Amino acid sequence: MQFKHTLRPLTACATLVASVVLLTSSAEAADKIAIKAGRILTQAGTEIENGVIVIENGRIQAVGQDVEIPWDAEVVDASELVAFPGFVEAHASRGMDRSNESVDVTPFLNVRDSIDPVNFYFEDALRSGITTINVQQGANTVIGAQGLVVKPYGMTIEEMLVRPDAGLKIAARPKGGKSRATQAQALRRTFGDLKRYLDGLVQDKKDGNDKARREALYQGRDLDSEEAKGTRPLTSSAVWTVEGLEAIPRGEIDEKQEPLLKLVEGRIPAWIHCQQPLDVELALEIASDNGFLHRTTLVLEAACFKAADRIAERGVPVVLLPSLIHRERDPITGEEIETFVPSVYEEKGIPYAFASAGSSAEALWFQAAFAVGQGLDRAAALNAVTTTPADMLRLGDRVGSLEPGKDGNVVLFSGDPLSITSFVEYVVLEGELVYDRSKDVRQQHLIEGVRPSNTAAATDEGQGDDGHGHK
Amino acid sequence: MSLLLSLVASAALTPSAPLPAQDESESTSWTVFAEKVYDPEDGLIENGLIKVQDGRIVSITPGARPPGDALRAFAITPGLIDASVRVTRGGSAVEQSSEVTPSVRVADALDTFSTSWERQVKSGVTTALVSPPDQNVIGGLGIVVKTGGPDSVAERTVKADAVMRGSMGTQPSQRNRPASGAPSSFYNRRPTTRMGVEWEWRKAMYDAAADPSASAPELTAVLGGDLPLMVQAWATQDIRTAVFLKEECEREGLGSPRLIIDAAAEAWREPELLVRTGTAVVLPPFDADGRTGDNAFMAWNTARLLHDAGITFALSAHGGSHERQLGLQAGYAMRGGLSFEASLQAVTLNPARMLGIDDRVGSLDVGKDADIVLWSGEPFQPTSRVVGVLLSGALAVDPRPSNN
Repeated sequence: MQFKHTLRPLTACATLVASVVLLTSSAEAADKIAIKAGRILTQAGTEIENGVIVIENGRIQAVGQDVEIPWDAEVVDASELVAFPGFVEAHASRGMDRSNESVDVTPFLNVRDSIDPVNFYFEDALRSGITTINVQQGANTVIGAQGLVVKPYGMTIEEMLVRPDAGLKIAARPKGGKSRATQAQALRRTFGDLKRYLDGLVQDKKDGNDKARREALYQGRDLDSEEAKGTRPLTSSAVWTVEGLEAIPRGEIDEKQEPLLKLVEGRIPAWIHCQQPLDVELALEIASDNGFLHRTTLVLEAACFKAADRIAERGVPVVLLPSLIHRERDPITGEEIETFVPSVYEEKGIPYAFASAGSSAEALWFQAAFAVGQGLDRAAALNAVTTTPADMLRLGDRVGSLEPGKDGNVVLFSGDPLSITSFVEYVVLEGELVYDRSKDVRQQHLIEGVRPSNTAAATDEGQGDDGHGHK
Repeated sequence: MSLLLSLVASAALTPSAPLPAQDESESTSWTVFAEKVYDPEDGLIENGLIKVQDGRIVSITPGARPPGDALRAFAITPGLIDASVRVTRGGSAVEQSSEVTPSVRVADALDTFSTSWERQVKSGVTTALVSPPDQNVIGGLGIVVKTGGPDSVAERTVKADAVMRGSMGTQPSQRNRPASGAPSSFYNRRPTTRMGVEWEWRKAMYDAAADPSASAPELTAVLGGDLPLMVQAWATQDIRTAVFLKEECEREGLGSPRLIIDAAAEAWREPELLVRTGTAVVLPPFDADGRTGDNAFMAWNTARLLHDAGITFALSAHGGSHERQLGLQAGYAMRGGLSFEASLQAVTLNPARMLGIDDRVGSLDVGKDADIVLWSGEPFQPTSRVVGVLLSGALAVDPRPSNN
């Protein structure tokens, strides 16, 4: 592509820094960088021609046309490119060792232990301009593990981490082998069990039985920290309360129940997967009966648009899984009815975010572009892959737009982010250059049919053996 | 689209509307206007006005001002042509009596009532080649049809017996039992390997040449070059087999088949073979990771590479709709570096010429069928969609918002 070599750090030193950064993820980010972009789509209400983005210590310092470039900043000339804040994936069940557990209720697990930093998914996300991902377990569960918000770069979870406590995954559609009735019962029982457990805890305390404390000590837990003593008293749910719970130190709550308690306290969010409109009803019931409706986001398959009125009534935001078109055949007339679902949520004023499809050709940029093609307003489509998901993740102050104070995440496209001929040329994460298309051998192989130079001996045709018996 | 709505819409038209209101759903005479009319032969026509009468294009006027009753959209292209649409040909359409069934017509298994056709029309595909499925070595005769219109196959036919369809690679030998062990059924099918598939091909060709009276006349037509031979071959080795078969036929004096290779994902590896033999190619849909059938790898620049090598090629969506539709395949070819103009040709004029139907379809020309696609924005971008379709002059998808 013609734009491939347009971004050139102005000094040789800067080039060196950039390549070191690519080779070793632990390298320090340059303190100050200034990106001169041909066009900046800020996603904060403005579009800037020939602007500058200054990033200092990983955060955006200034964005604009008349921004003074600090004398000691590394200047990056991207005057042929389009700067964009990077896409925010509101919910993805990928990048993990396994995305589902065989056990039904596992709120005590954390995807921290199953995210694989070198999973191909993260590399591919970066290549598609996705800079923030809420990793949640799959939908084949009752209550899954706790999720994490990460950026798709780094060799350890700590390097990737954007925020912990990203919430619990819950499925309102049936886990494999269950009926909808069994799933509903399992969900209700889980919260019933929690309440009974808490009641028992209070009763034990009243009876002078310190079983919970002994168990906690036996597990080697630190009961003397401020957190364990409960600087913030246990409140139980906003809907149901357990009398006398405030007397229990937080450290004595069983680890297996603690995340569920946090959920009903409204301290962590819930991501509830629904496949059919009736699942939406169950999801809303479970969330409101246990006091975490205000922290709930519904993760919806296309058919759920039929429950949009109920969702609007309860004021719950939604993540719309691909495909964004719902098709069904009228049982009487046989006519095929197609519904472009984002329009339904748009019309009812429900906040919605898009999600990438499994195929990397249909990542967030494609979903937004496709939505525009189906008649959605361009600004609305772009919000659904940037600012809206950022707000859902309570990261509205950090990601989703290019504004001073936010994380220094910039994606540089060769053209308009929604055009089929545009490519992500560079990605800067928190001020660090982490993706350079000219060095992306997989992309070159896929798009240009160029084989990585280190995988096969060069031949006259420039092609090596890849198992198809060539020569 | 109720009759009432059509009446209301037509009532609002100027008195010069070409036809009485009650005939609108039947009408095959329209005036169509777009800021950008893209023709694969003439390129961009700005502010183009196309007049359609009795199902055919009667005039194309550049720099026109649209009359009030014109159907309007941002852009217009000819109706798209999918040279390998794989709809309405399930397993039940495989003739199992033999591996070589050159006289079988897929036309006899075509279901015009299938809703798959509606999706094709909605995605802008107005003409399609349907071939027998590829479980047989030589499957039989394909047919070119319009994707909409009258319910009878005969009335939809653009070209009957358009190609002889066959397959290389693993598909004809899949699920056939290997020779080891006792056969579990009298009807065990062969072949079981790529070698066996190739043997069946050569046997059919040699037999047809040796004794034309004893073999299918269709094979004679293939050897005579009168009936194009369309062979599915995804991987390089199968593309080679197909090309070498053609060359062997010529060398041994059996005849000279006109070869089209369908689903030629790895055509990029040895384009010189295709150039040497004048072989045309239909590419399969692009895959995000480049992996296609028979584990063949298709890089996204394949279309551009074939274009640069001067090979005649067409794109195909294999009947996919929505996120997999033919228009997007043209977009993906552009993502791989092919120009818009060449991408447009690859889904219109190229397949029309390949199938010998360019006298009727494939470009916007006076006298040709009025197969016209109206786009909301630049064609082939995911940010655009097909908003209107004229199929043989009939309004198959109505671009006017009130009638949607």
